[in-house]
Amino acid sequence: MAFGIIVAYLVLLIVLGVGAGRLLQRTSGDFFLASRGIGPFMLLMSIFGTTMTAFALIGSTGKTFQSGIGVYGLMASWSGIVHAAIFFLVGAKVWQLGKRHGYVTQLAYFRDRYRSEVLVACLFPLLVGFVMLYILMGVIGGGRFVENVTQETFAMRGTLTEVPLAERPADLEIPEDWKERVRHDEARGMLVLDGSIHPKHRKDLLAMSPAPAWKGAVAALFAASPPTGAVTKPAGMAIICIVVLFYVFFGGMRATAWANTMQTIVFMVMGVIAFFVITEELGGPVEASKSLLENVNAPEPSRMQREGLIGQLQFLTYFFIPLSVGMFPHLFQHWLTAKKASNFKLTVVAHPVCILITWLPCVLLGMWATGVLPADTPPNAVLGMMVSRYSTEVLSGLIAAGVLAAIMSSMDSQFLCLASLFTNDIVAHWMRKDALGDRERVLLGRGFVVCVVIVAYLIGLSNTQSVFDLGVWCFTGFASLSPVLFAALYWRRSNRQGAIASVLTTAALWVVFLPQVLHGGGEEDEFLVWGAMPVVILVAAATAVLVAVTLLTPPPEAAIVAKFFGTSDGRRGGARENLR
Amino acid sequence: MKLVVIGSIVLLAILHHDFWWWDAKEPLVFGFIPIGLAWHSFISIAAGVIGLVAVTCCWPKHLDEDDGPSPVHAGEER
Repeated sequence: MAFGIIVAYLVLLIVLGVGAGRLLQRTSGDFFLASRGIGPFMLLMSIFGTTMTAFALIGSTGKTFQSGIGVYGLMASWSGIVHAAIFFLVGAKVWQLGKRHGYVTQLAYFRDRYRSEVLVACLFPLLVGFVMLYILMGVIGGGRFVENVTQETFAMRGTLTEVPLAERPADLEIPEDWKERVRHDEARGMLVLDGSIHPKHRKDLLAMSPAPAWKGAVAALFAASPPTGAVTKPAGMAIICIVVLFYVFFGGMRATAWANTMQTIVFMVMGVIAFFVITEELGGPVEASKSLLENVNAPEPSRMQREGLIGQLQFLTYFFIPLSVGMFPHLFQHWLTAKKASNFKLTVVAHPVCILITWLPCVLLGMWATGVLPADTPPNAVLGMMVSRYSTEVLSGLIAAGVLAAIMSSMDSQFLCLASLFTNDIVAHWMRKDALGDRERVLLGRGFVVCVVIVAYLIGLSNTQSVFDLGVWCFTGFASLSPVLFAALYWRRSNRQGAIASVLTTAALWVVFLPQVLHGGGEEDEFLVWGAMPVVILVAAATAVLVAVTLLTPPPEAAIVAKFFGTSDGRRGGARENLR
Repeated sequence: MKLVVIGSIVLLAILHHDFWWWDAKEPLVFGFIPIGLAWHSFISIAAGVIGLVAVTCCWPKHLDEDDGPSPVHAGEER
């Protein structure tokens, strides 16, 4: 049933993509930027939906299970402050520049601002690599979640699991509808389970007899890991990728904006419903927190505090992580879709509150999960297991649709932005202007995205890294590029030499730290440098190199400064240069 | 007003580092939210309020100069 609801939701998304595709004007401007016509509410939904992904739902719940409630302060409240400030200081300004000079992508802006092909050549692989990591996070989280909530979708009859049970208990009563699935083979003294079993049905099996021998045999049966009958992680990952590829390719940015708006509403509503349903099953929120306080078996230190789980310096230096939002190329492209600058106002005000609505229930669920799930539960599985264990099958399906909505509302923008970066900034730029028509550009972009998604999928098959830690390292890379963005927008003296040096510094440090971050691919503690997040070192080094190299090299040409900052007499150069 | 908004953001960033609740599980706000988590929920709401003041009183008017139709035709975008 849960899988049926997920499939219905995915079909709805495809229909939406087809609908948007019919309204699509066959130009790259409409495909990549929805003709710059997005209103305030849709802008908020698509920006918020894009920034909230597997990281916010699956990652936050799992990380709280590991590190306690401080996870909200690490990411959510810092993001509320920093994201809103960046939308105000960077988003609206970028939109204005994009509209004046006709930028479709982030790289187009940097190319024009610094007049440097070398900078673009350095930035392109870095941005693609970071976005691929972001996609990977969604693919892994989504696949794992689908696996956890679709158990017993397939009966898997014929796969037998057997454990010893010498004698059939006298009071054993196997209900009629169970007789095909479970039987006692008296001749061999074995308890035999035929096919898959959902965790919810385990207690029904246990209740068939009070005899200790029966309880022991059933426990042994579960320990023998009968098949779950779930949609497997690789299959879930593939389904998500294919659906998103389909509706993005069909409808471009217009479909992405529509789908994001719908998906953001779906995941926020379903998140709240999931919270209430699970909380009810736990005896209500007050009871759940009270029993966690009193539960002596709960892990020590308690997940209701930060002491012993999160360091003070670690907590403080998480401030730098949300700076990444300024450099997300997919978000940059969403900024450019706004119809007017004032449309950003709603996003600045409502974004922190939307973060609260999404993160608070997840963090509370992760906290309560410490009292009910085994301590060795993998963090990425915590939300799926809570949903699967404490809600009905129909609700599991609806909640799963909500979680997938959050994941896909980011992936669609990422796919689209990769397509535009590749076609507009690499292929079209390095070929003769009339060598490629609109149709060829769009097709090339699609081919590139398919290649990136296949690589992400293959990495995702074997990756066991925590979604949260994977996300933090991805954001570290983006955050370390943010000094270049701030300098480009606000520092007249900033030149190409400084920008290139800063980007190369980021690339080198990110690669140097990568093996320590992965440390064997486990789901263990975060990598810290002297108790601080490594992002501090990367941002500090990138900033220092940017300033030093800029000051040691000649200032940018007067025409560039006039174009982006105006002349000393207040005139702005080149504002209408593309009217031609 | 600009200074008030900047000052409020700095103050919020300082209040974010609530070392005074570091090892506190209780009190439970509304009976179920540990105090450290409730404090950070308040920080999120305060960020929204500061955002409201910022866009109402400090919105850069020059950004609205470009509200008209795009000077760049779709096919000429780069």
